[in-house]
Amino acid sequence: MLSLENVDSYYGGSHILHGISLAVREGEVVCLLGRNGAGKTTTILTVMGYLHPRRGTIRFKERDIGGLPPYAVARLGVGFVPQERGIFPSLSVRENLTVFARNARSGYWTLQRVFDLFPGLQARERNLGFQLSGGEQQMLSIARALMLDPVLLLLDEPSEGLAPMIVKEIVDVLKHLRGKGMAILLVEQNLRVALAVADRHHVMNKGEICFTGGSEELENSESVLRSYLSV
Amino acid sequence: MELLVAQLLNGLVYGVLLFFMAAGLSLIFGLMNVVNLAHGSFFMLGAFIGFSIFHLTGSFWLALVLAPIPVVMIGIVMELWFLRPLYARGHMDQVLLTFGFTFVFYDLVQTVWGKVVLTLPTPASLQSTVHIGLGVFSAYRLFLIGFGFAVALLLWLLLERSRLGAMVRAGVDNAGMAAGLGANIPALFTGVFGFGVLLAALGGVVAGPVLGLYPGMDTDILIPAFIVIVIGGMGSLRGAFVGSLLIGIADTFGKAYLQNVALFLIYLAMIIVLLIRPQGLFGIKYADAPPSALARTIMPSTPRTRALALIALLALIALPFGLADYPRALIAEIFIFAIFAMSLDLILGFTGLMSLGHAAFFGLGAYSVAVLGAQFGLNAWLGLVAGVLIAAAGAGLIGFFCVRSGGIPFLMLTLAFSQLVFSVALKWRDVTGGSDGMPLAMQPSFFGFSLSHSLVMYFMTLVFFVAVYLGLRRLINAPLGHAFIGIRENEARMAAIGYPTRAYKLLAFTIAGAIAGLAGGLYVIYNGFISSDAVYWTASGDILIMTMLGGAGTLIGPPIGAAAFLLMKNVVSSYSEHWLSIIGVAFICCVLFFPGGIWGAVQKLQPAGAKP
Repeated sequence: MLSLENVDSYYGGSHILHGISLAVREGEVVCLLGRNGAGKTTTILTVMGYLHPRRGTIRFKERDIGGLPPYAVARLGVGFVPQERGIFPSLSVRENLTVFARNARSGYWTLQRVFDLFPGLQARERNLGFQLSGGEQQMLSIARALMLDPVLLLLDEPSEGLAPMIVKEIVDVLKHLRGKGMAILLVEQNLRVALAVADRHHVMNKGEICFTGGSEELENSESVLRSYLSV
Repeated sequence: MELLVAQLLNGLVYGVLLFFMAAGLSLIFGLMNVVNLAHGSFFMLGAFIGFSIFHLTGSFWLALVLAPIPVVMIGIVMELWFLRPLYARGHMDQVLLTFGFTFVFYDLVQTVWGKVVLTLPTPASLQSTVHIGLGVFSAYRLFLIGFGFAVALLLWLLLERSRLGAMVRAGVDNAGMAAGLGANIPALFTGVFGFGVLLAALGGVVAGPVLGLYPGMDTDILIPAFIVIVIGGMGSLRGAFVGSLLIGIADTFGKAYLQNVALFLIYLAMIIVLLIRPQGLFGIKYADAPPSALARTIMPSTPRTRALALIALLALIALPFGLADYPRALIAEIFIFAIFAMSLDLILGFTGLMSLGHAAFFGLGAYSVAVLGAQFGLNAWLGLVAGVLIAAAGAGLIGFFCVRSGGIPFLMLTLAFSQLVFSVALKWRDVTGGSDGMPLAMQPSFFGFSLSHSLVMYFMTLVFFVAVYLGLRRLINAPLGHAFIGIRENEARMAAIGYPTRAYKLLAFTIAGAIAGLAGGLYVIYNGFISSDAVYWTASGDILIMTMLGGAGTLIGPPIGAAAFLLMKNVVSSYSEHWLSIIGVAFICCVLFFPGGIWGAVQKLQPAGAKP
């Protein structure tokens, strides 16, 4: 469904991604691991079209999306949940969900289904975005991405800075989405979240992928865990 | 009582007109971070096109419906073709671009409709008066208030209750995130810009029967609209509405009861709001724009450049002997404005702060010489020394408040302070002569030579120009100058390595103010006359244009820009009526294609080997 081939990406003059290749197949959950500054977020931003690859190709649903702006990528069916969550502070929870929703005709994710998945949000439907807690913001950000009726979700560190209870809730949500056949590209630093949710893992270091494998393989490669994941 | 109600009504009328301007300005700023200095031009174009449609069709209502259409088209073309290519370069360039357009639109209006004040007659159906309990009121004015409130309500519904409105608010909150959720941000920008222009043009048409139509009505409405959105909060519709009515009523009552200090008090209110609550009464966010990306680093002098500089100096010394009186005087004026432009460049190009109020210090220097001469008979040279000190003190004081901010807030604060100085110059008529101006009591001599001789004037200004040029060059190449450049490049990093950046910015601002004061004092000695026009914000805009046109961030650029500007103004204007358009277009081209200005373009032409 999504494939990156030899992608090089730059922030202005600095070369961040060096020949990244990875793929997410239908219904698959793929995790990008690595320390701060490894290039995980840059990879996500490049897929979304916030950065354009200088070399290499990005394909989504058989289409080259390497030069598309973010809104076009989103409209092709990519749901984006950024690291800073990106809640619109002056919009109500309900408006945050509906403002860019694309489920009008045939979508599975209606407002009701989203509220069923996140009961906490329904209770705060009329609150404004800036009145939410960190956990609620994260839930809202995921819920809002679902309202676009995506076939692929990009999640950038959804567990970051949240209490263990909330992290568990989010893991449950991700498992539920996986059960529904949603393809997910997940960026994580929390190994336990990654192992609980993802089928395959890529470990990044200095803008390159230095390990690729399944959950068991990752758990058993002590050297990878020690050198690249500070576990 | 009846008078009070009538004043209140007039205040509401003015407030409604301000709202038409402020709502669009505020939305555009909130979403795009662009302070649209051409917004008043759209108001003016709406008024004049409405006037013409009225005279063709005889119907005010047809004018109200049709006039905004061409204006909106102009606005959309401006957004699509001129602003959009600059998104990647930062908002300051876009602000400058809109300023360039004000010249073109002004010239257009002046050419098509002339310079006399026109009036749009009140529509026949509303020429009557209405008796309400408290008195007799013009039906048109009542209609105008109702129309304004209806538009405000409609806007509120659109913005707060519709999905499109939610998209705009989402874009104001976080345009990048909205894009990631499928919002076509460029299209949204164009739409909101066009909508803002529509409101301004509508306001222009309905203002026709109340305000009178003349070239210059653009800035006369733009500045109070700025005050409105600063006080109300940029990006907030509610702020624009409340702020408009507040300023409309305050201005009307102020003019009636506190004639001399009303203007001063309004600018003071704006400054106080900016300082205490920078986001305004209702603002939720105040985006800080990055500093101008137009600056470039100067090169150290080499034997070759020193030789060139010496040749240039010898040429300047030899030049006047081959010229008549008029060109000599013109070049002397260029020297004075070159000093002024270089002083602005110290904060703009070298320290990275865009000021739209530098004329305040020029004015302080100029009025010091003139007023001290008139009141105490002080010799103009002593007055010049006093002027420099007073300008430095003024810059230190004003800078103390301004350098706490950067980007757009800095621009607005400097604008507000300079307008404060302007309001004093305008209203303290006993001392300054107001808009009629005041003459210099006695022209001094220059080392025994009479300055009434054009050659003496030429060399006097040349001496000061060369002295300031060399002094600034020394400053820029000293560690202090490097600290200024460091702040321009990355203020956070400079602070992190131990520079008290705010103090450095204040120092740069004060030095720049002192030199601007010198230029102002010299100008009075040169011109023999000073009026409040020299302190108006457009004078700050002109010097900004000179600096950018020549090339900000270099020392040679500003004098070149001053020369280009004044030559165009004085020479082109004698051949063509359209010198304003020519300057506007030159400036727009400069922002679009030569971000380094004339001098930057010249440097690019040099063979690569000549560069270090």
